[in-house]
Amino acid sequence: MREVSVLGVGVHRFGKTGDEVVGTKSVTELCRHAVQMALKDAGVSWGQIEAVAAASSRFSGGKGWGLNGNDVVEDIGSTGIPVYNLSAGCAAGGNAFNVGYSLVAGGIHDMVLVVGGEVMPKGMIQTSGVEEATDPEFLRQRCVGMPGPSFWATLARRRMFDHGTTEEQYARVTVKARKCSVGNPHARFQKEISVADVLASPYVSNPLRLFEICPVSNGAAAVVICSAAKARQFTGKPVTVATSTVATIDFTDALPRGLAGPVPTGPSFHTEAKAAVMRAFERAAIGPRDISFTELQDNTCYYELAFPEEWGLCEPGEAQALLDSGQTTPVGRMPINPSGGFVSFGEATTAMGVWQIAELTWQLRGQAGARQVPDAKVGLAQTNGLGGNATAAILKR
Amino acid sequence: MAEKRSNEVDGAFVEEGSVAGGSFVPVLRVPAVPGLFSEEGGATVLGNKCLACGTPYFPKAAECHNPRCGESRMADCAFGGKGVIWSYSVADFPPPPPHKFDKPFKSYVIGVIDMDNGLRMVGQMVDPLEHVRVGAQVELVVDTLYHEEGKAYTSWKFKLV
Repeated sequence: MREVSVLGVGVHRFGKTGDEVVGTKSVTELCRHAVQMALKDAGVSWGQIEAVAAASSRFSGGKGWGLNGNDVVEDIGSTGIPVYNLSAGCAAGGNAFNVGYSLVAGGIHDMVLVVGGEVMPKGMIQTSGVEEATDPEFLRQRCVGMPGPSFWATLARRRMFDHGTTEEQYARVTVKARKCSVGNPHARFQKEISVADVLASPYVSNPLRLFEICPVSNGAAAVVICSAAKARQFTGKPVTVATSTVATIDFTDALPRGLAGPVPTGPSFHTEAKAAVMRAFERAAIGPRDISFTELQDNTCYYELAFPEEWGLCEPGEAQALLDSGQTTPVGRMPINPSGGFVSFGEATTAMGVWQIAELTWQLRGQAGARQVPDAKVGLAQTNGLGGNATAAILKR
Repeated sequence: MAEKRSNEVDGAFVEEGSVAGGSFVPVLRVPAVPGLFSEEGGATVLGNKCLACGTPYFPKAAECHNPRCGESRMADCAFGGKGVIWSYSVADFPPPPPHKFDKPFKSYVIGVIDMDNGLRMVGQMVDPLEHVRVGAQVELVVDTLYHEEGKAYTSWKFKLV
């Protein structure tokens, strides 16, 4: 395995269809902006890219087949390079990064572009749309009616029972996230909000409120990665990919994802996310307490409290005390989502895993402005996706 | 919500319909998806179980999914009875299709129930939010989900004991 470096990163600011940021831009236009920004940041030309690993979108572009990487190559210039389109639900960006990383680490290619972009349809993400009694997701929605936010809300409610987390503490996670996003030029929301604002927003699925759940957004992200040897030709201070991992759900996972499963004998948590992160710690020989900051998938503020505990970044039940004492802010001892997170960006689903790599890179270069984590040395990124997919990556300087 | 009485009339389950001119108008009760649950002899969902490792499944699994189970000996099993609320949430907004509901939309509680029969199940709660608590005991029932073309479409739900 060769050491892999991040050479350049680019993001198209996130927004909502029709706004001043993304307007009516197509996913191809959003990706073009992100790719050209990453190429410029890396100091490489399009002709030097040897392969593309792209996140496959169900919602936009890709000729209806998730061929989003082919769209990018056609748009920027067909050089005949291999294109890998990776599908893993909302974890697709992380999966694409993992494949790009593997191609470089394995010595197949020296210079790879990883890209993900989305133009999302309005409202709650719908299910497969297949009306078949053999499709468990159809059965769950027809017979129960339990969209994504209600799944998250059952986890949030259980945490309130297990650890005494209050609705105000959930609101304070959002307040913290939105404070981080002030001055982040790529965030969709860049204004602070108060606890009162959050608590005044309507329940989407009690106990979770509108401002505590990430909306869908349009946006794109791209990163150029290469072998460490190659990186030294371009920069004296490359950011190193300590590892990139992928995992899927374990049979023992007890979260209410389908209609039913066995009652567990142990705790209930996201087994796919934990497996991806534990594998990353093991492969990188980096422990949870060595992490300077984390960018995790906060579809809802609940995850900012639950995931750090599940992964050993802090003790079970401790996260809310760390939140209350300001330790999860960029200047605290366990910074979580200094970017502002999904709650401030909205979810451009398949772009997220790539966008996290860009955020980690800016932090590790010391280029994160107001959201900078002081002396950031090691960053952890994590995504989750439908189907029981998860990814993690650890970057270091 | 008024409690519904289900009765078997000429082989078809009916629910209490509108009472026009004092005469009882039966509304045909049909499952929202056929073959998933039964009302005969008490409410149950129709799943199966691996006799080798004891893993319960709903809906039915063709083979045992337990990677640590050496064999797959599947037997049909009807799951009903009682359980406790592991957690719950509320559908405060109408879920997107393929969910169906009576208009105007009325929010409902969704329970995650650890059943005595070994299944952790999701289902709508019959009871209002004010009465629902983690740890409370519930039982499986079959109740109306929505009405369409004069029929009441049913699903499994949970009710506080």
